[in-house]
Amino acid sequence: MMEELAALAQWHNVRFMAEGLWITLRISGLTIAFSFILGTLLGVMRYSGHWLLARIAAVYIESFRASPLILLILLFRFTMPLKPVNSGTLAMTLFTAAIVGEIVRGGLNSVDKGQWEAARSQGFTWWQTMQHIVLPQALRKMIPPLTGQFITVVKDTSYVWVVGVQELTGKGVIILGQHGSTL
Amino acid sequence: MIQLINVNKHFGPLHVLVDVDLTVKSGEKLVVIGPSGSGKSTLIRCMNLLERPTSGTVIVDGVDITAPGAPLTKVRQSVAMVFQQFNLYPHKTVLENVTMAPILVKGIPREEAEASGLEFLDRVGLKHKANAYPSQLSGGQQQRVAIARALNMRPKIMLFDEPTSALDPEMVQEVLDVMIGLSQEGITMVVVTHEMGFAREVADRVIFMDGGQILEEGPPEHFFEAPRHERTRLFLSRILR
Repeated sequence: MMEELAALAQWHNVRFMAEGLWITLRISGLTIAFSFILGTLLGVMRYSGHWLLARIAAVYIESFRASPLILLILLFRFTMPLKPVNSGTLAMTLFTAAIVGEIVRGGLNSVDKGQWEAARSQGFTWWQTMQHIVLPQALRKMIPPLTGQFITVVKDTSYVWVVGVQELTGKGVIILGQHGSTL
Repeated sequence: MIQLINVNKHFGPLHVLVDVDLTVKSGEKLVVIGPSGSGKSTLIRCMNLLERPTSGTVIVDGVDITAPGAPLTKVRQSVAMVFQQFNLYPHKTVLENVTMAPILVKGIPREEAEASGLEFLDRVGLKHKANAYPSQLSGGQQQRVAIARALNMRPKIMLFDEPTSALDPEMVQEVLDVMIGLSQEGITMVVVTHEMGFAREVADRVIFMDGGQILEEGPPEHFFEAPRHERTRLFLSRILR
């Protein structure tokens, strides 16, 4: 067992794995950045109670949240004219945005109603209140659940392996195959 | 001037305000008393449309704020409100709490808003707390900051919704003292409170609400000496002890 592991730890294998790590990090980085933006938008839309925007956000969130991530990755791979790594990143972004949207909505709901009243009574518009008063307070409360979700994103990048992307898991499987071992 | 004409408010099956007519003259100090659930908070919250009446008209400074498309944010700039729970912005410093709305809503330059903000903080005795956060202050201090925040909008009208009800007893007076100081000026004040001592000292007129209606009104002495209604007498005997 230990000898097998030692055989794996060669410079070209380490470099090979590092390439995979870079792809993993790139997919996660893009997913986290874009899902945070889109998710915040969705969360605010759903929280707003606007008859149209809130419904659009609710339909989006419930559909994506209810889909298995791996299914989305496969679906996007075979329906979109994109490189696998890009269709995979897109699938992960849209899926994660739905979950971030719910975290954002939860954060917004946890801000005391008196904050709205104080701000509106001072003449702040709805958007000013959201931007300057409510959202900053909500973001603070969202840090723990968001951290958890973004850690999950990094781990879930391994799903993108199923459409042939050689990220960390994909590279690892290749090396194991070359050594004729599955440990 | 504030004018409520035939105002009704329903919360589901509850009829909270029943055909209320009320005029508050410019510069008047009006105190609203009444048992909990009598509609006095809803009444004062209709004056800046935090609560929208189910029917009826609210006119503030000549503007019908219940009309569709009324310039609400504009009117609210001259109608400040102080809340029972203070509702300071917890993520902002005391000075920022006091200057945010003047800068963002009224477009006053930051230096100017900060200078006047510090003046008002000084007036409520809290200039030295300008860089503290609300959570670092006592309840009485927070409420005094809330009053400074309201004043820095240079309002014509100030609404106080039970400003001392959430305070520890020994902090009530420091807030009342600030309010008594304010009442020396031309500002219109509407105060929902149980503090009859304050009413006696400051109010031009007291109204007693019960069941969503104004049951009785008059100068403060009237309530101490000869309340007409049995309901008013009962209420006063309970809060005056």
